[in-house]
Amino acid sequence: MTPPASHSRHAVALLLAVLAVGYWLASGYYGKELVAETAITAILAMSLSLLVGQAGLVSLGHAAYFGIGAYALAGFGQKLGWPPALAMAAAVAVGALLALVVGWVAVRLAGVFFIMITLAVGEMIHAWFLKDRSFGGVGGMSGVPRLDLSGIGVDLADPAQFALFALAVALLVYLLLDRLVLSPFGQTLRAIHQNEERARALGCPVGRYKLAAFVVAGAVAALAGTLAAQRSAFVSPELMTWTLSGEILIVVIVGGSGSLLGVSAAAALWIGLRHQLSTMTDHWMLAMGVIFVVLVLVAGDGIDGALRGLWRRIAARRAARRAA
Amino acid sequence: MTAPALAAEGLQKSFGALEATRSVTLAVPAGGRHAIIGPNGAGKTTLFNLLSGALMPDAGRVLLGGTDVTRDGPDGRARRGLARSFQRNSLFPEMTVAAALMTASAIADGGAAAFWRRFDRDPARADAAAAIAARVGLADQLGALSGNLAYGAQRQLEIGLALATRPSVLLLDEPTAGMSPEETRAMLALLAGLPRTITILVIEHDMDVVFDLAERVTVLDYGAVLLEGTPADIRTSDVVRRRYLGERTQ
Repeated sequence: MTPPASHSRHAVALLLAVLAVGYWLASGYYGKELVAETAITAILAMSLSLLVGQAGLVSLGHAAYFGIGAYALAGFGQKLGWPPALAMAAAVAVGALLALVVGWVAVRLAGVFFIMITLAVGEMIHAWFLKDRSFGGVGGMSGVPRLDLSGIGVDLADPAQFALFALAVALLVYLLLDRLVLSPFGQTLRAIHQNEERARALGCPVGRYKLAAFVVAGAVAALAGTLAAQRSAFVSPELMTWTLSGEILIVVIVGGSGSLLGVSAAAALWIGLRHQLSTMTDHWMLAMGVIFVVLVLVAGDGIDGALRGLWRRIAARRAARRAA
Repeated sequence: MTAPALAAEGLQKSFGALEATRSVTLAVPAGGRHAIIGPNGAGKTTLFNLLSGALMPDAGRVLLGGTDVTRDGPDGRARRGLARSFQRNSLFPEMTVAAALMTASAIADGGAAAFWRRFDRDPARADAAAAIAARVGLADQLGALSGNLAYGAQRQLEIGLALATRPSVLLLDEPTAGMSPEETRAMLALLAGLPRTITILVIEHDMDVVFDLAERVTVLDYGAVLLEGTPADIRTSDVVRRRYLGERTQ
């Protein structure tokens, strides 16, 4: 669990962004696609981090909100022909609304029952889009429009520019969620996570706080979904499989569940490794699994915990040298 | 006539065939110090849970300052000014003492809903938390993690969390449970020093604590009120001596 407010966190965020832009500059066409994919995965992981790392709500159906955001953008933007900006906003609202309905029931359940209901609802939504012909069923639907930012001189039809745009959105999401995590609201989520009975006895309407976190996470996941749909101009039920939910949960755990920057770094690691390993071996999934198991074993608190420990050791050594 | 700060009217609660609470009625006037005693299994904890909202009664009512709160859960009652401590320490183990007290006060006054301000940049709340810490004897432990405190200090923080909500009624569940004699004395001094704006109802095993703190004592037996009176009444009561005090000295 994150202790609030490390002073260097924004510097680390900047460093991550600079690394991403550096990679973007140095890489070719495919590298830019990786940057976009990483940014989108980071947004999705940060939204789940709010649930898992702060509120202690382990959702195994988070891909549903990601997928709903993508499909809603396709529905509003392509089928109904709304302007992409409006369709995007509406898609985020649909994600929030779905989270409100599901969360209304789910936050009353604890532990494994919460996991099961989020998984079950995710699978139901996945199954519906597999069968439903109006959105292309199993084959999905192409022609999803991209946001038009030509007014400010940005051409999102260009994959390179779209990658930078996704990166900017990820940075914005980080700043917003960072604010939320460090607020009294975020602190109360951590209180509920640490001792729900005590929080309730102090007067906290625990269910309402969990629901609020669930809705915010759903909306941000839907935002990530709208970017995913724009990136490939395509939606399919693949966007909402439970394996994606599981992958994102792994990314969150490996990153250090409560750390927005940790999970973002883990998202980059996930996308990068998948790309590297899949070009080297057909058994890349197995290799990824081994790498991530080792990571969790070596650094139980994830990337965030490992870096904090390293930093503490360096600081202690420096202090010792100064004292000597 | 003003309504009692806390009242129970005909509270009834059964678990299967076991009648844990049998038509218990009591009233604590504002600013009063009331104790509930009784042998193990007399239904003290069940009554406590009925009063705090952790359990719903089968029949009867709970009133806070004259308002019926029987249908309110623990959080609703807390928002009406009822605070409780736990018999077994129930803290936020990964928070510092300062953060835990600030969290408790933010939850209690509704400040917890703010999502745009910084929680750790609230000097007024931090000062209030430091004052509570000083009151419960934790002034020098503000930066310590709650989970790392010694047992006695955790008991003090237990009371501090309840006080941080600025309650009008304080329910204490065996506040000196597991404490050494010195720690018990310190806790008694702490409780005796609380202002009369706080009404206190305490469940306690330790007779010294009860007779020291309480003005009124309710003796529970088999879930029902056996006797209510002043500590002197209780001490001199034959029926209490036989049923409870006598058994303990044997």
